[in-house]
Amino acid sequence: MLVSGLSAILFVMGLWGAFTRKNAIIVLMCLELMLNAANLQFVAAGVYHGDTAGWIYTVFAIAIAAAEVAIGLAILLSVFNQHETIRLDDINLLRN
Amino acid sequence: MGSSYDEVKNALDVPSEFVFIILLPMLAFPLILYLGMKFNGQKFWKENLKEGGLVALPVMAASLVLSLVLIRRFINETNVSDTSTVFSWANFAWFTEGASTEISFYSLNFGLYVDHVTIMLLFVASFLCLLINIFSIGYMNTDEINDNKNHRFYAEFVLFCSGMLGMVLSDSFLWLFIFWELMGLCSYLLIGFYYDKPSAAYAAKKAFLTTRVGDVFLVIGLAMLWNLFQPYASGGDALAFATVFDHTNLQMLADAGKQGALQLALGFMFIGAVGKSAQFPLHVWLPDAMEGPTPVSALIHAATMVNAGLYLVARMFPIFGDSAMMGEFSDLAFIIALVGGITACMAALIAFVQMDLKKVLAYSTMSQLAYIFTGLGAALWLANSLDWGEYPNKGIVVVAFGAALFHLFNHAMAKGMLFMASGSVIHEMHHAHHDLHHHHDDDHHDDHGDDHHDDHFDAQSMANMGGLASRLPITATAMFVGSASIIGIPLIGGFWSKEGIIANTWRVAVEHDPRFYIPAFLVLITAGMTGFYMSRMWFMTFAGKPKTEVAEKVHEQTPWIPIPLLVLIPMSLAGIIFASLKSTYFLGYKGYKLGEDGLFEGFLYEMDHIFVNPGTNYLLVLTYIAIFLSMVLGPCAAMALHGGRLDDGQKAKPWMQWAVSLSGKLNDKYSFAGWAEKMSESSLGEALRQRLYFDKYYDMAMMKIVAGFSNLSASFDKNVIDGFAIKTIIEKGGQDSSRIIRSITTGSARDYIMMVAVGTLAIAILLWGVN
Repeated sequence: MLVSGLSAILFVMGLWGAFTRKNAIIVLMCLELMLNAANLQFVAAGVYHGDTAGWIYTVFAIAIAAAEVAIGLAILLSVFNQHETIRLDDINLLRN
Repeated sequence: MGSSYDEVKNALDVPSEFVFIILLPMLAFPLILYLGMKFNGQKFWKENLKEGGLVALPVMAASLVLSLVLIRRFINETNVSDTSTVFSWANFAWFTEGASTEISFYSLNFGLYVDHVTIMLLFVASFLCLLINIFSIGYMNTDEINDNKNHRFYAEFVLFCSGMLGMVLSDSFLWLFIFWELMGLCSYLLIGFYYDKPSAAYAAKKAFLTTRVGDVFLVIGLAMLWNLFQPYASGGDALAFATVFDHTNLQMLADAGKQGALQLALGFMFIGAVGKSAQFPLHVWLPDAMEGPTPVSALIHAATMVNAGLYLVARMFPIFGDSAMMGEFSDLAFIIALVGGITACMAALIAFVQMDLKKVLAYSTMSQLAYIFTGLGAALWLANSLDWGEYPNKGIVVVAFGAALFHLFNHAMAKGMLFMASGSVIHEMHHAHHDLHHHHDDDHHDDHGDDHHDDHFDAQSMANMGGLASRLPITATAMFVGSASIIGIPLIGGFWSKEGIIANTWRVAVEHDPRFYIPAFLVLITAGMTGFYMSRMWFMTFAGKPKTEVAEKVHEQTPWIPIPLLVLIPMSLAGIIFASLKSTYFLGYKGYKLGEDGLFEGFLYEMDHIFVNPGTNYLLVLTYIAIFLSMVLGPCAAMALHGGRLDDGQKAKPWMQWAVSLSGKLNDKYSFAGWAEKMSESSLGEALRQRLYFDKYYDMAMMKIVAGFSNLSASFDKNVIDGFAIKTIIEKGGQDSSRIIRSITTGSARDYIMMVAVGTLAIAILLWGVN
C-alpha cells in the first residue's frame, strides 16, 4: 500500500512537471518520472498478488523506456536544429 | 391438331468452338486499338498493316470461314423433312431447329442458337463484314484526312461485327439485347467518326438517341416477357429461346389467359425493332447517319445493323406460329405490316427529291426494310391464324416467311454493294477534285477528306455528277445491277423476293383480313416508285453529260475498292440461283438440293410459279402490275426526266450502253421539263425536300419538352441547390463551425498534454462509473 502511494505521488509530480515546465528536457524527464511511477505500481501489484508477472513487465517497460528516451532526445535535437530553442512555448507550428 | 410449329423442332449440337465467330472480332478490338496507339504514324503500321485494316481482315475472314463451316454442318446434320409447298413465289421453306451449346459465364449462360433464320443472317453478316473490310482498306486508307485515325475505325468496325454476329447467334433475348446495344454503341461511334465536324457529332447523337427511344420499349417488352415466362423457366434464363418458344410453356400461358399480355410484350419489342430498323415514326436518324464514312453506311446502315430489327421480328415467328396462340396475334401482325407499308411509301416519296447520292440510298434502305416488315407482318399473320395441319397452309406460311427473309438477303447484298459503289463514286470525285484544284487552291487542304462537304464542291451531290458510266465502268455496273435488284427487274435478285412479299400481303388481304389492303396497296405502288427513284439516281449519276469539270476528270484508280464490287455483282444477280437451290443453304429443307434437283429445273420451277401458274388468278394479275410499275413506268419516267446521252466519244460498257442511249432518246422526246419544275416547286416537292417535316416537328417537340424541363431543373439548381443549400447550409455552416473548432488548436504541446490528461481522466472516471 505504501509503495502504491509512493507511486501515485511520483506520478502526480511527473504530471505537474509536464504541465508547468517550459524546458522540453525537463518535460521529458517528467514523462520518465510518470513511466517509473507506473513501473513501481507494477512491482507493487506483483508483490500484492504474489505474482512475478509484474516484475517481468517492469523489466520490459524499463527497456522500452530507454528506447523512448533515445527517440525523445533525438526529436529534441532535431527540433533544436530547426528552431534554435527547445522552449515549448515557442514551438507551436501545429497552431491553426 | 398436329399442326403447330413445335413438331418440327430438331436438335443439333453446336460445338462450342463456334463461339469464336463472335470472340475473334471481339478480341481484335482491343488488339487493334492497342497496336494503333503504340505504332501510330510508323511506316510499317501504315503501309504494311494499313493502320489495322490488315489486322481486321484475317479476323473477319476467319469468322466467315467458321460461319460457313457452321452453316454447312447445320445443313448436313439437321434432319428436316420435306414440306408441302404447292405455291411458291420464291420457294423458300422455313423450319427451325433449336440447338445450343452452353458456355457458362458465371451464372449467366450464353449459348449459340442456330436455325434457318440464324444461318441466313449469319451468312449475310459475316460475308458483308469481310467485303466491307476490304472496301474500307481502299476507301479509308487513301484519304489523308483519316491518317493516323484509322486504327480507331477498324477497332470500332470489328467490335461492331462481333456485336452483329453475337446477336445473330445468341440463344436468348437477353443476349440478343446485349449485342443489340453493342451495335448501337458502335453505330454511334462510327457515325461520329469525324467527331470534330458538328454535323457528324449531331448525327451520331441523333441516331443514338432515336434508337434509344425504341430500345426503352424493347426493354419494357423484354421485362414483360421475362415476367410472363419466369414461372416456367425453372430457375434458368426466362428469356432463352428454348423457354420462350416451348410449346408447353406457351400452352400454359394460353390456359392462364395471358395471350393479351404476351401480345403487348411482343408489341413493345416490335417498337424496339422499329427504332433499330429506322421505320416510321422512328426513321429520322438513318438519313443523317450518312455523315459517317461510306463503309460505315454500307455495313451498318444498309446491310447489317438495320436488319437487326427485322431479325428480332423474325425471331418472334415461333411464338406466332405456335398452335397454343392460334389467332391471338393478328392485330400485332397487322400493325407490323402497316408500319412497313407506310414507311415503304413515305421513304420512297422522299427519295424522289434527294440530291445527295448517299441520302437516296438511305431512303431506299428504309423503304426496302419496310418491304421486309410488311412481308414479315403478312407471314406472321398467316402463321398465327392458319391451321398448319390443313393442306396447304403450312406451305403458304413457310413461303411467305421465306419471301420476307429472302428479301432481306437480296437487299443486304444489293444495298451493301450500292453503298460501296456510291463510296467509290464519291471517292473518285474527291480525288478528281483534289487533282484539279490542288495547284491553285492550296488553302483548302481540309476539303479533301471524304464525306466532307465544303463550300465550293459537294462530292456527294448528284448535281455535280453525270456521265460517269464510261469513266467508272466497274462502279457503274455495280450500281446498275444493284439498282436492278432493288427495283425488282424480273429475273434479277430482289425480284423474286419482292414479288413474294407483295403477293403474300395481297393474299392475306384478299383471302383473310381486309385490313391488309392498306399495306398491300402501299407496297404495290411503292414498287413503281422504287423503279423511279433508283433509276433517277443511276441516270443522274452515270448518264448524260458531265455536269461539272470535276466529273469529267473522274476515273477508277483506287486499289481494293473494286474487289468487293466484283464479288457482289454476281451475288446480287444470282438471286435466282439461291431461289433455285430451294433455299437449302439459307432457309430450306432437304430434297431440293443442288445436284439432286438441278439448277435448271429449279429455275424452270420458279419461272412457272411466278409467271404462269401462281395458283390464283388475281396473284398473276398482280405480278404483271408490279412488273409493269417497277420495270416500265418508274424507270422510263426517270429516264425521260434525268437521262441523256454521254459525251461524244465516250462509250459505256455494252450492258449499260443500251440503257444510256435509250434514256437519251426518251429525254429528247419527252423531257417533261416544265412539268418537272412545277412539281419540284409545288408544296409537295418542298415538303419532300424537308423530309415531310418530321425532323422539324420532332425538333420542335423536343425543344418544348426537353428545353422546358431543362429550364425548370436549371432554375431549381440555381435557386434551391446553389442558393439555399450550398450557400446557407454548407458554406456558412462550415465556416462557422470551423472557426469554433480552430480555436482549440493552440499548437502548444502543453495544452495537448493537458487535453490528453483530462481526456484520460474522463475515460477513467467513466469506466469506473460503468463498473
